Amino acid sequence: MTQAEIKLCSLLLQEHFGEIVDKVGAHILQTGSQPLRLISNDTGTPLDQVKKALCVLIQHNLVSYQLSKRGFVEYEAHHDRVLRILRYPHYIYTAKTLYGDTGELIVEELLLNGKMTMSTAVKKVADRLTETMEADGKAMDYGEVSSTFVRLVDTHFIYRCPAPLEPPEGAAAPAPVAPLLLTSEKDMYTVPKLSMIGKGKRRRSSDDDDDDDASEQQTKRQKKEADSKETLPDDGIYWQVNTERFHQHFRDQAVISAIANKMDQISSEIVRTMLRMSEVTTSSNAAHTQPLSSNEIFRSLPTGYNISKQVLDQYLSLLADDPLEFVGRSGDSGGGMFVINLHKALATLASATLESVVQERFGSRCARIFRLILRKRHLEQKQVEDFAMVPAKEAKDMLYKLLSENLVTLQEIPKTPDHAPSRTFYLYAVNILSSSRLLLQRCYKTVANLIERRLFETKENKRLLEKSQRIEAIIASMQATGAEEAQLQEIEEMITAPERQQLEALKRNVNRIDASENQVDETIFILESYISTSTKP
Amino acid sequence: MADIKVKLETADLAEIENRILELCQQLPHGITDQVIQNELPHLEPQHRAVAINRLLSMGQLDLLRSGTGLLYRLKDAQSSGKMKGSDNQEKLVYQIIEDAGNKVASRVDFTLVMLVSEISCWLGSSVLSAGIWSRDIRYKSNLPLTEINKILKNLESKKLIKAVKSVAASKKKVYMLYNLQPDRSVTGGAWYSDQDFESEFVEVLNQQCFKFLQTKADAARDNKQSPMIQRNSSFASSHEVWKFICELGISKVELSMDDIETILNTLIYDGKVEMTIIAAKEGTVGSVDGQMKLYRAVNPIIHPTGIMRTPCGLCPVFDDCYEGGEISPSNCAYMSEWLEF
Ligand code: SF4
Repeated sequence: MTQAEIKLCSLLLQEHFGEIVDKVGAHILQTGSQPLRLISNDTGTPLDQVKKALCVLIQHNLVSYQLSKRGFVEYEAHHDRVLRILRYPHYIYTAKTLYGDTGELIVEELLLNGKMTMSTAVKKVADRLTETMEADGKAMDYGEVSSTFVRLVDTHFIYRCPAPLEPPEGAAAPAPVAPLLLTSEKDMYTVPKLSMIGKGKRRRSSDDDDDDDASEQQTKRQKKEADSKETLPDDGIYWQVNTERFHQHFRDQAVISAIANKMDQISSEIVRTMLRMSEVTTSSNAAHTQPLSSNEIFRSLPTGYNISKQVLDQYLSLLADDPLEFVGRSGDSGGGMFVINLHKALATLASATLESVVQERFGSRCARIFRLILRKRHLEQKQVEDFAMVPAKEAKDMLYKLLSENLVTLQEIPKTPDHAPSRTFYLYAVNILSSSRLLLQRCYKTVANLIERRLFETKENKRLLEKSQRIEAIIASMQATGAEEAQLQEIEEMITAPERQQLEALKRNVNRIDASENQVDETIFILESYISTSTKP
Repeated sequence: MADIKVKLETADLAEIENRILELCQQLPHGITDQVIQNELPHLEPQHRAVAINRLLSMGQLDLLRSGTGLLYRLKDAQSSGKMKGSDNQEKLVYQIIEDAGNKVASRVDFTLVMLVSEISCWLGSSVLSAGIWSRDIRYKSNLPLTEINKILKNLESKKLIKAVKSVAASKKKVYMLYNLQPDRSVTGGAWYSDQDFESEFVEVLNQQCFKFLQTKADAARDNKQSPMIQRNSSFASSHEVWKFICELGISKVELSMDDIETILNTLIYDGKVEMTIIAAKEGTVGSVDGQMKLYRAVNPIIHPTGIMRTPCGLCPVFDDCYEGGEISPSNCAYMSEWLEF
């Protein structure tokens, strides 16, 4: 793992779980597997704090444990999972577009809590939805939330966490040092039968009298205890977000939008249909989808795209003939069989990403040279000048720039054993894989920089932020007690106009940086996906 | 016909060779195949080839490329006269330069050369040469550099040879016989004027070609035909592009279709254009060897990628930037500027 990755992981852990978790997490990331005591020693953190931190990390699937050969439990952190924290907003947003507000909240809750039972998740979401509804007494039905939950499971966006083995009946074996967690393939996507009846509850508004409040609290607590005593039917069955499935969806979106950009809307809609049909039949890391016949595709096209079979066939053969090669022809039966070349598409997207980097950083002439070398594989400087039609001096400059940024490589092929420069070929080449890896590191560092800057912006304005929060709180409580308009205004004016401006600017900046973090993550996603497909055997 | 097929007698061969040499003497500027054919109408082409090959290998004849085809000339018929008063070293250097001038033809098999002669008609009226570099003259002659420079100056002043600046390297001079013209490898062709690469000219052409293809692609998209027709009508052949550029009149020099294809290639490397080759009926406008190159403008598949929309993506001091350092995200001016924008 590189320094950039560790740095970013540490920033993410700190932001989401606080300092201690960051200290513990970053330490295990750097050192690899470690037993509890060593972690405590090395980080100078009390044992119970380390334990708590590890609990948090395990709960969020960022750390796993395992029995070492010497008999103690070792903890290992997974940097790839930590880095996914960056992608949480994207997961949540996707759930919203696919399954509405309910889906959004379910995924959000699961991500915030790491793992949850279905019943708690459904209740929580129903409560939250009820709160946002108009105050006319309407409430969200549990049943409705459950059914969205089930749909998310059915489409594999959520899956069941591995569970400890049931101890064999009667045997009084001592509990194992480290529980072994197992997933049964069969149960991974089966939802327990739950009949959840009821509606979301609104939190009591805060205008209750103090006395009332206290008694309320008490009854609540009592109720809570009663609640937790009656075990829920799905106790012990926990669920988590299936990030792989989301990634598959992101990949599909990337392919679809590439087609839409290069060709047109209808072509991309056809590809979308093909990808949707393949979702269940094709494993997420397959090189290409299962073959689909043109007839099948025709039947599955969404209504509203009024295109005839004949026109569909034309689109399909244009897609298959395009040099992009995202769609391939795999046979002639059933009106032609077609596949989507997923790995090829990712490779193309990765190289387009690199091209875009060269274009933005070094200009279009440099991008021309880069693409030229990419196409021709190996070229001498003179050939680069001739093909790209760039003056010799400029070409030389650009090649050296690309070389120093590791975007191209230079290979020496001596004609004679003495390696004399005058009798040596100097060949430039592009290695997409290694350049992608380097760019990925640059992305990690960029996100870390953005986070640092965001923290800095908020820190700079800390006093102001606190002041405005205080004032808002005062106003809220005054409004609740029915203060007069004039009074409210007076309080509001405690924040001066320039202060208000500053707050606005801060808000804008933070939003802007946030948005950029997500944009960089898009680049990261493409590069990571490409690298993982091209390095797996 | 049977008698002609009989194997060529040595005596006959000598006879033919003599006739050819005689012809060359009559026409000291050189003779073409056509001349030999007119003078010896009964001579079989194969026999002619054998005879010429022998004369070439014996060093009696010189083979030159010219605008109208190949030219045979008596060796030294011209130069020996001019070389009067030169010493052996000077002759040697002249010989090396002369050889370099027609190195294409002199070593190629004759039958192949006959083929070349048909193709090379487009070469223009003057004899072209790639010339020879002074360092190569030194290698071949084994004379000291100072000596060679003196000889070259001498020969230049006698107008027997000339020096031409090559586009390949600005300081590289090549030498060739005085009556030869530098070929494309020396002048660089349409893209060079006075050894300078006309970068702006190339870019203007690049833009104009793209504009042409883009307009065509837009029109194809707007005509709302079936997808197949839309795609097909977005293509333009290199001939069409060439015609458009010629009619535009932006070029002072005459551009060939090859020149335009070179420009179109740069558009392919720009990622803006795609090319396909289709089979075309012989004689279709713009087809070469039964093939036609078709070009069309295409859109990029992605927008500028995420990281390039942040200041760090473009940052020149990226590697020196770390929190707590001289340059850091907190004090970064690029960030401040970007946030204010
Ligand atoms: S924070 Fe500023 S200085 Fe640092 S890499 Fe980004 S742009 Fe460059």
